[in-house]
Amino acid sequence: MEALAQFIVAGLKSGAIYALLALGFTIVYASTGAINFAQGEFFMLGGVIGVWLLSLGMPIPLAVLGAIVLTAAIGVVFEILAVRPIEGGDPLRIIMVTIGGSVLLRQLALHAFGPDELTFPAFTRGPSIRLLGAAIERQTVWIWGLTLLAVLALAAMYRYTGFGKAMRATSIRSEAARLVGIDAAGMVTASFGLSAALGAMAGLVVAPLTQTAFNVGSAIGLKGFAAAILGGLGNPVAAVGGGLILGVLESLTAGYIDPLYKDAVALVVLLLVLFIRPQGLFGGAAREKV
Amino acid sequence: MRGRDLRLLMAVLVAVLVAALAVTMAGCTPAQQTETQGEGTTQGEPIKIGAIVSLTGTYAGLGDPEKKAIEMEVDRINKAGGINGRQIEVIFEDDGTDETKAVAAVSKLIEQDKVVAIIGATGTGPTMAVRGDVDRAQIPQVSMAGGTVITETFDDLVFQTPWSNKIVMPYLLKYMKDHDITKIGVISDSGGFGKDALAVLQKSAPGAGVEIASSQTFNPGDTDFTAQLTKVKDSGANALVIATAGKEASAIAKAAKDLNIGMPVYGTHGNARTEFIEGAGDAAEGFRFPAGKILLPETYGTDTEAYKVATDFVNRYTAANGKAPDTFAGHAYDAINLIAEAAKRAQGDLTPAALRDEIEKTAGWVGIGGTFTFSPEDHNGLSENDIVMYEVKDGKWVLAPEN
Repeated sequence: MEALAQFIVAGLKSGAIYALLALGFTIVYASTGAINFAQGEFFMLGGVIGVWLLSLGMPIPLAVLGAIVLTAAIGVVFEILAVRPIEGGDPLRIIMVTIGGSVLLRQLALHAFGPDELTFPAFTRGPSIRLLGAAIERQTVWIWGLTLLAVLALAAMYRYTGFGKAMRATSIRSEAARLVGIDAAGMVTASFGLSAALGAMAGLVVAPLTQTAFNVGSAIGLKGFAAAILGGLGNPVAAVGGGLILGVLESLTAGYIDPLYKDAVALVVLLLVLFIRPQGLFGGAAREKV
Repeated sequence: MRGRDLRLLMAVLVAVLVAALAVTMAGCTPAQQTETQGEGTTQGEPIKIGAIVSLTGTYAGLGDPEKKAIEMEVDRINKAGGINGRQIEVIFEDDGTDETKAVAAVSKLIEQDKVVAIIGATGTGPTMAVRGDVDRAQIPQVSMAGGTVITETFDDLVFQTPWSNKIVMPYLLKYMKDHDITKIGVISDSGGFGKDALAVLQKSAPGAGVEIASSQTFNPGDTDFTAQLTKVKDSGANALVIATAGKEASAIAKAAKDLNIGMPVYGTHGNARTEFIEGAGDAAEGFRFPAGKILLPETYGTDTEAYKVATDFVNRYTAANGKAPDTFAGHAYDAINLIAEAAKRAQGDLTPAALRDEIEKTAGWVGIGGTFTFSPEDHNGLSENDIVMYEVKDGKWVLAPEN
């Protein structure tokens, strides 16, 4: 029982990180219909830039904020330089560009920040918290708290702000949105910035637990992608659900079957979902974008 | 339509540019590293040595200091007049911690550059992967990787500078036994180093009077170790042994503390990096690991030749790189110098075969990893006397209490 609680805590911890990445995939997918394969690199950039800002003498909160803003800016620049020229072009080409972009960002990070793993200190120090016999690291509480905050902020933005409504309108029907005066291209740029910020936040909040390095992006990016597919692409709530389920599933597999098979089990479940419910666990009827 | 075509063209152009840039960035890493050293006045052709190191990928943090150490030593040797009047030229190739790339690199070094010896690789996997080509070309190879398999699966041509697990693990087990630890839990990675370490532990534990109560594995790149550590905790082990050279070690040490596993944590020579201590933070306190004496040169004994060699190396490396060398830089120092010393002794034409024979004749040569004595049966050349047990205290490694 104690072990089960511990496995679930671990699963929800990884799951929250997957959820943040899945949100990034979902946001870009909603605005472009494409998968942004550079999403994992935004995760990496958040961590390494954060460590760099710390080394310049910034306090932790400022470094976190600065890294998120800088990574978002990189996301925006990336979109303007590489994705915008394909505007109206098909998602397949956007995907290609993001794959190239991910290699580029990774190599740039290697040259700028070196090959060694980098350490970001825990946001708050102290012993782990005990709950139902399970130990919860303080950083895990930060992971959950910030994920929740990001999801709520995102939901509020989509629902109540003109900007959020414009983004939604663009994702539902880009042409019509443009006709009523929404800057559709700007919305795509914003979606890249937003998903880069979310990725950076995930990378920062997990860095104190695992350290970070120039090459941490691709593996975690795949997990986030799997989570987004599992939940249902294009739907933020589904993305979060997918992330949490994937995390817990992995943790239980590691706990009760074999840690070496946890990725495989996650993939098998993913394939099953794709066969039985191609729109994802929480996705509504498939919505074809025109 | 024209505008649209233009835009399409732009898109394709940018995509091609990005891809091309990405390819050059990735592809030029080895090309850039193909630096030529040792120009200047030489009598005769330079001696060409190929070095396969991991400058990208999982072991990038190991390959980088290795390359720096080799460059520094080559520079020193050449400035002192080279080897019997000939300069050394080292051609670096990046294997990206990838077997396939290592094979491509070795065939380039052999076919195009016509090197007389290979240094490398950084990791055990790539080291083993190039064996076929090394055998075919019949040139000596000096590996900087720690896997036991490298010299256990014996090859006339292959030497190894780090302490192999076959030396380290029995030492670790004996130390633990002396500290009343009779049941251990092991967590090892599923890659080369972890598998190798686990195999040696399993083989030597019974003889050392230590029982492996729980053996857990993880995949390189994993970020959560709750399941494995919970099982070790419940297994009744008296100590946890982390067997990986990867960056996961610090996250494991940290998780062990957070989960309150309530037993001392031991590691291996794969954790002898400051990045590990920084990453694990408080959780590194009390962590013990066996490694070579280079970490604290006074452990050689201040009046020994080894101490002089080590302090000289530490001082020069620190001056050049602003950072003290780690054990991996030491393995690279040993590799290049073992070859250089052998080349100096060789009479007549410096053929790969003559070089190999001379490397094997190395006896009592004092390097960084220890005192090397090769023989036709032993191509590792080190012994238990070359390692000591360290403990992390106040964020630094110190000598662990003897008994």
